[in-house]
Amino acid sequence: MSIDRSYQASFNENNQEFVIAGKLRPQSEDEMRPLAEALTNSLAQVRGTFYLNVKRLARLNNVAFRAITNLVSQVCDTRPELKIEVVTSSVMGWSTRKFLPLAERLPNVTVNEYDNDFYPGQSFLEEGGFIPILRNQTKLTWRHERHLLPRHGLKPGMTVADICCGIGDFAVLVQKELKPSHILALDHSRTSLDYARKVAAEFGITDIEYVYGDASEMVIEDNQFDFVTCRHSLQIFDRPELILKELYRICKPGGRVYITNEKNSHCLGEPRGESIQWTYTEVAKLFADFKMDVELGPKSRRYLADAGFEDILVDSFMVTNGDGDPQDFANMIQAWENVFAGEMARDRGDSPEFIARFRQGFQDQIYAALHPKGYAGWPIWAASARKPT
Amino acid sequence: MRGTKPLVEISMGIEAFASEWLHCDRISSYLARMVSHNRTDSLLYANLLSSALNELLETAFAHHGPEGNFSCRVSRLGDSDVIELDLPCDDMTLAFYRDAAQRLTQPDLAGIYHSALFSPGKPDPHLGLLEVAVDYRARIAIVAEKGNRLKLAAELTLEGAAA
Repeated sequence: MSIDRSYQASFNENNQEFVIAGKLRPQSEDEMRPLAEALTNSLAQVRGTFYLNVKRLARLNNVAFRAITNLVSQVCDTRPELKIEVVTSSVMGWSTRKFLPLAERLPNVTVNEYDNDFYPGQSFLEEGGFIPILRNQTKLTWRHERHLLPRHGLKPGMTVADICCGIGDFAVLVQKELKPSHILALDHSRTSLDYARKVAAEFGITDIEYVYGDASEMVIEDNQFDFVTCRHSLQIFDRPELILKELYRICKPGGRVYITNEKNSHCLGEPRGESIQWTYTEVAKLFADFKMDVELGPKSRRYLADAGFEDILVDSFMVTNGDGDPQDFANMIQAWENVFAGEMARDRGDSPEFIARFRQGFQDQIYAALHPKGYAGWPIWAASARKPT
Repeated sequence: MRGTKPLVEISMGIEAFASEWLHCDRISSYLARMVSHNRTDSLLYANLLSSALNELLETAFAHHGPEGNFSCRVSRLGDSDVIELDLPCDDMTLAFYRDAAQRLTQPDLAGIYHSALFSPGKPDPHLGLLEVAVDYRARIAIVAEKGNRLKLAAELTLEGAAA
């Protein structure tokens, strides 16, 4: 008989959290003994609230479920003062429904589906209001990236994953122009995915799978893709190294991971350069207050090296008002102002005076972009690296 | 089943299937991934389908006749997928599945399932079927066929649940 030990279990004493991830489909309760012992030992160490985190438990059969819940029931009987919170995720589809009856039976057990807490500060960027920004940005960056992507190793016929795909327009452009065999596009925003599926259907595109998921803990098997992209996203997660670890994991050995990020304080424009520079320096600080590093671009080499990649290639390009219609650039800046000054600064509690000056920098960049002799720019760092064979 | 479009089928001797527990997990994971690629959210759909299919396979693993062919087929019927397990059966197996079919027609199936799920001692042998019927809202049909064969069909509509 083979025992498939494809689960991971760990206990974090500081959080009083026991995490089970992977797959638990044993044939007999005996196979559950190591996990049951670890869970028992962990329960013995805690007071107050114990968190049983099954957010990344992809598969669970009834043998395992009963072993876990029997143990939880016993603890509830002997320690009525202990609260047990089971943390599930809608990414898996089944787990909340499976564990909820446990909470109905045991008064000290609660079941909570925690999907909105994946990333602090993300709500600004995941709601529908951000869609126009994303659409405009992709339109502007594609002029550059369509030439850069082949240089970074993307070839026709490859299998591609676009992680943090947003509204999916980048995946559509890649599919149409660079002809990979298949694209899996993943994002954590249902609003964005709904939009992406609608756009793909309108264009009759069937070679892109749009899936819901958490980029830092994906339900995708190892070594699946020749080319993995993750654009403008590491910079808006508080722990980018977790995402990179996942990008590395799903990439085939010898395949490449391609990331793009900004250094927002380097956005520029002339005339009115000083005001523009002040505002974008403040943008970087604002994002930092929401645990996002929009200065990450030039740090790409370090992040890729630390994640274990080799053959690192770093490019940078400047999206400018000269890339096609200057109004497109101006529209993007206006959308940024609406979110950064209109929502984020307000939510941080900034004064009206600060917000007025903050807004002025965006308006000055729009002025520069639309000025017949003006220049406005948004710098991007595009980096890729190979997963060792 | 009428009107369905066959998508994929795995067939092997029942002895081979029942020789290794991991077959349940491997077959359910593989078939679910294969048939889910063109669903709205392929990964979520595959995860749900694999969970339901695994319960059916684990039931067949534990309850089947001694010899003959075993097959697992997935067919499509619009938003639904139909899983059909075709397995050899003897008198004891037949009685087991007849009992199951009878229980699945009971009112308050959710109550029966939850009682079974949390019952002390040995697990209820119908637990997997009850789960598929309740948690996955499957329509389950169990039919004895000629030549000591039995067909278990589960129609699952997961598309809405997975979107």
